[in-house]
Amino acid sequence: MANVVKVSPFLRTVSGRIIQTSVVPVRNASTEKKVFGPLKDEDRIFTNLYGRHDWRLKGAMKRGDWYKTKEIILKGHEWIQGEIKKSGLRGRGGAGFPTGMKWSFMNKPSDGRPKYLVVNADEGEPGTCKDREIMRHDPHKLIEGCLVAGSAMGACAAYIYIRGEFYNEASSMQIAIKEAYEAGLIGKNACGSGYDFDVYLHRGAGAYICGEETSLIESLEGKAGKPRLKPPFPADVGVFGCPTTVNNVETIAVSPTICRRGGDWFGSLGRTRNQGQKLFNISGHVNNPCTVEEEMSISMKELIERHAGGVIGGWDNLLAVIPGGSSTPVLPKSVCDDVMMDFDGLVEKQSALGTAALIVMDKSADIVNCIARLMEFYKHESCGQCTPCREGVGWMNSILQRFDNMSVLC
Amino acid sequence: MATLLRLWPLKRGLGCPGFIGTLASRAQSTAPEKIEIFVNDKPVKVDPRSTVLQACAEGGVQIPRFCFHERLSIAGNCRMCLVQVEGSPKPVASCAMPVMKGMKIKTDSPDTRKAREGVMEFLLVNHPLDCPICDQGGECDLQDQSMNYGSDRSRFTDMEFAGKRAVEDKNIGPLVKTIMTRCIHCTRCIRFASEVAGVEDLGTTGRGNDMVVGTYVEKLFKSELSGNVIDLCPVGALTSKPYAFTARPWETRKIESVDVMDALGSNIVVSTRGGEVMRVLPRIHEDINEEWISDKTRFAYDGLKRQRLVTPMAKNAQGQLVSTEWEEAFFRIVEKTVSLSGDQIAAIAGGHCDAEALVALKDILNKLGSEALCTEEVFPMDAAGTDLRSNYLMNGRIVGVEEADKLLLIGTNPRYEAPVFNAKIRKSWIHNDLDVAVIGQQPDLTYECEHLGESPKLIQDLVDGKHPYSKVLAGAKKPMIIVGSAMFQRADGAAVHRAVSSLAQTVRAKSGCGEDWRVLNVLHRVASQVAALDLGYKAGVEVIRNNPPKVLFLLGADDNTITRDDLPKDSFIVYIGSHGDNGASMADVVLPGAAYTEKNSTYVNTEGRAQQTRLAVTPPGMAREDWKIIRALSEILGVTLPYDDLNEVRERLEEVSPNLTRYGDVEEANYFKQSEELAKGIKQQLSDQPLTPPQLALKDFYMTDADITSITDNVALRESCHGVGQQ
Amino acid sequence: MASKIVRTGVHQVKPILSLDRTDARRRVLNLYKAWFRQVPHIVFNFDVPITVNQGRQKIREQFLKNRHVTDIRTIDMLVIKGQMELVETVKLWKQKSHIMRYFKETHNPRPSDFLSKFYDGYM
Repeated sequence: MANVVKVSPFLRTVSGRIIQTSVVPVRNASTEKKVFGPLKDEDRIFTNLYGRHDWRLKGAMKRGDWYKTKEIILKGHEWIQGEIKKSGLRGRGGAGFPTGMKWSFMNKPSDGRPKYLVVNADEGEPGTCKDREIMRHDPHKLIEGCLVAGSAMGACAAYIYIRGEFYNEASSMQIAIKEAYEAGLIGKNACGSGYDFDVYLHRGAGAYICGEETSLIESLEGKAGKPRLKPPFPADVGVFGCPTTVNNVETIAVSPTICRRGGDWFGSLGRTRNQGQKLFNISGHVNNPCTVEEEMSISMKELIERHAGGVIGGWDNLLAVIPGGSSTPVLPKSVCDDVMMDFDGLVEKQSALGTAALIVMDKSADIVNCIARLMEFYKHESCGQCTPCREGVGWMNSILQRFDNMSVLC
Repeated sequence: MATLLRLWPLKRGLGCPGFIGTLASRAQSTAPEKIEIFVNDKPVKVDPRSTVLQACAEGGVQIPRFCFHERLSIAGNCRMCLVQVEGSPKPVASCAMPVMKGMKIKTDSPDTRKAREGVMEFLLVNHPLDCPICDQGGECDLQDQSMNYGSDRSRFTDMEFAGKRAVEDKNIGPLVKTIMTRCIHCTRCIRFASEVAGVEDLGTTGRGNDMVVGTYVEKLFKSELSGNVIDLCPVGALTSKPYAFTARPWETRKIESVDVMDALGSNIVVSTRGGEVMRVLPRIHEDINEEWISDKTRFAYDGLKRQRLVTPMAKNAQGQLVSTEWEEAFFRIVEKTVSLSGDQIAAIAGGHCDAEALVALKDILNKLGSEALCTEEVFPMDAAGTDLRSNYLMNGRIVGVEEADKLLLIGTNPRYEAPVFNAKIRKSWIHNDLDVAVIGQQPDLTYECEHLGESPKLIQDLVDGKHPYSKVLAGAKKPMIIVGSAMFQRADGAAVHRAVSSLAQTVRAKSGCGEDWRVLNVLHRVASQVAALDLGYKAGVEVIRNNPPKVLFLLGADDNTITRDDLPKDSFIVYIGSHGDNGASMADVVLPGAAYTEKNSTYVNTEGRAQQTRLAVTPPGMAREDWKIIRALSEILGVTLPYDDLNEVRERLEEVSPNLTRYGDVEEANYFKQSEELAKGIKQQLSDQPLTPPQLALKDFYMTDADITSITDNVALRESCHGVGQQ
Repeated sequence: MASKIVRTGVHQVKPILSLDRTDARRRVLNLYKAWFRQVPHIVFNFDVPITVNQGRQKIREQFLKNRHVTDIRTIDMLVIKGQMELVETVKLWKQKSHIMRYFKETHNPRPSDFLSKFYDGYM
């Protein structure tokens, strides 16, 4: 990261125009990439991921945020949704639902109820810490994203539901929101586009289950954060009984840049159906645990070796990796050798990309103990509505604790 | 919260599959085309809005469930209803899953069985094995389903003696007993409380294995429908406190009967053992009570064992009532009556009388030459009065409120006068966007309502179109006006009646709701009133007050409408009834009658539907069925009534009013217009007195004197509910 | 049709015991004598407040109750029943009350008119 870009060079070149579709040719089968990553510096979206620059409005604008946001909004919601669809962006919260399609669920003609955008900043998955980096160091990306996404779906306001434990992040978000209001970027006539849009920050009370969209909505309404039954889906009956879209922080935060640089640019990164860049968190037994922005479909080995300084004791000392946050299945080393870090690649190996939070375990780790610890977490965080989880997780916990104790005894 | 609930999930859910079928079918006249699915390879055509569970039911397969209940919203949390659906990687919770075309459902595949067995095992992990001392034993869903779908052996070893989860019991009042350790978190009680009863008293606290159903802080479950959670609870977590440890379901005989605690005629099942009523449960009747009953209906049965009249009694020389023989009691009556002319004899019927007794009493008095037969409840006799049935019936029927779009309550508090009907209003308010407005003192209702004011003059303003709400009524498609019968008891009752019937006609004309839609409805408060009026009784005791009789018969009349002070000194009072209360205490001769669980008899509810109660236990001691007492007395008096058994009495009933024996049917009434024309002749003026429903607080409901005569008047329930009253 | 009636009329039935009326009569008389002889023992054994004469009178009465019976098979059946009754009596399988039932019916007939039913509680 020697030459950190101050302002995206790409934006400088296209100065007058916001979209630049000709930069990356549309891919076809013959020119399909086989090797992914490392991500070029000019393709980075989160240019202040490490917090080395000013995260406030001034610094953010220097890095290209809030650049021509008005024009993006004025392009209309169909155009924005089209760009997002073109980019192939899939939800960054774990399930990987195509974002463009999700936004288009809000196209239904209004029945008088307002629409809302809810940003899921309840990042509670063990191993995951990507959203907090965004909110800490690039809050304006998120706020701008709220405005762009909100205008794309005709929402009147965005609620950012932030995890209760994220005190500092909530503070910087709140400051950033205040700055944006004061600069007229959001609020009445946001960015001078004639569009009224509010952004509210709501702090949760720290429950893992509130990361699930319907329980997040419940919590936002002031009730106990426990999931609702679907259908009706939030796009029909969401927060306060109104149509709502719930998106992850990262999904929202990348959307303005996609609109500025064009869906095709974003779509040129990564494999088909897994396009784009992604924030990866690498933790556990690596030399240099980090959060890094990389191209999708990068191989796991390269990701770990290049950015995290490799597994402690070398790659051969690797035992297993949990590839996408603690709720995704563990991959043994044999699989890790050549697996691609994207949605389809990991599903193929019977795991999932989840939030792309790699938990690396070397051979010193007691896998039973590790999983027992995770199970304790899930027992603690079970919402308790449905029988299999309420009773089952507790039961699994006691089984695993028993395993764990026995392995100590033997 | 209430508003939110109204928006979500119930109302919205209607568009989605699986919500409250009866209502959906009522509201939606054009059902969408049926789709074909396969239940265990058998093709079934089902409504596309139904859920997998409902579809399977249509295919003849019953799927086990705990949390799902037809009349509540879907929670989908017990997971007992898991079934395998071809093409779906995981088993599907059938109660929440909408059907899709060509779906192939396997309800008996090895995977389905395994899923059920697993859920059952999970449920039993933390469910105590106290079935032998659990009141639900024998009628427990968990017990039954663990036999049908559970594993035949246990893997629960508990080597570390960690024990099962234990939860502290809650004290939620004198009626519902809680043993929360048994709770399986189906949340039916919570959903019932918030959706049907309309009180947000119950909820969950904590999460995961520590989740607890309760009230959070210790407080009463303050609902007039609270007893229904006992039936809803699939396990023994919520049981009946008065019934606790008294009987087992397999020991009891179940007799299908009808309730008389209010004028709705809720259908009930009377459970008896050894000649004793053990408890009262609801019976499903879609047009009346669905499957709910009020607390009074459910818990009043202990009054059947207390303060009963068991022998005939007559006043001795000291003026005290002492037990005697039937012959002696009859003789005393004959002695007094024989020399009198007809106009010196009168009778008053109370609120719990059956039609058979009413007709017998009427016949005997007519034979003696008297026409002074009155009911305790007043109804204006001016103009058409009670001659036209439409004047005193709930013409639009109880289910009518499910179709109505505007409801105007005049001087009534349905929440306590007819709690089950109130639940229906609430249901319609949630699902059909029913708008409710109230004239009269604002009651604490379980739905939002517009309060127009308290003065009866408002009714006239509405007729004249002076009040803004008259526009709303005019714009209604199916308006309904419900008048509390208590409003006719007022001094200006006739004027109220005139105003209300002209309002109904005006609204009908303006809104263009069609000739077959009934606007005017009267909500009665006592079970006997409609039958009495059908039989030609005079409403109100005015006649008696104006012409005090020498001999007065009280047929279960305990309301003190006529006291000793209203009568000449030497007048003679005969009380016929089941309980020793006001009526019996001022009587010279007491003839012990049967309560509603002790006779085969006919009652007509407020909408004019004749129903029968069935003999569940024999009358205690020397008590006899009421009509037989009168029949026997007639023989002694030398005016023998021409019927010896029940069929013959009913033939007589049919002669007088054929609707009384058409059991189960509603006999419609008409001539609204004529009635209104006649009512115009009423000269009385509306007063300024505010319209006040007689029962405004829950305390009134449990401790009514005006509403209920003897049976609940002295129940232990009343004492135990003192707590409710004081809260 | 008529022939059928005739055929059933002359239809030969299997006799139970007796072949003709004399035979049946003999059996009846035998049974009567047996009873007659047993009366003193019965009166003594059961200690009933009845004289031997009264007992014999009752036996005669019971036999005469069936004097209208002419069918041989029926007579035979009654004789068999009478014998069973006799055995039960003589072997003291019966109890005192069973003997006394011949002299006094124990239950009262139910009233049939409304008022009596009402007083008695038979409703």
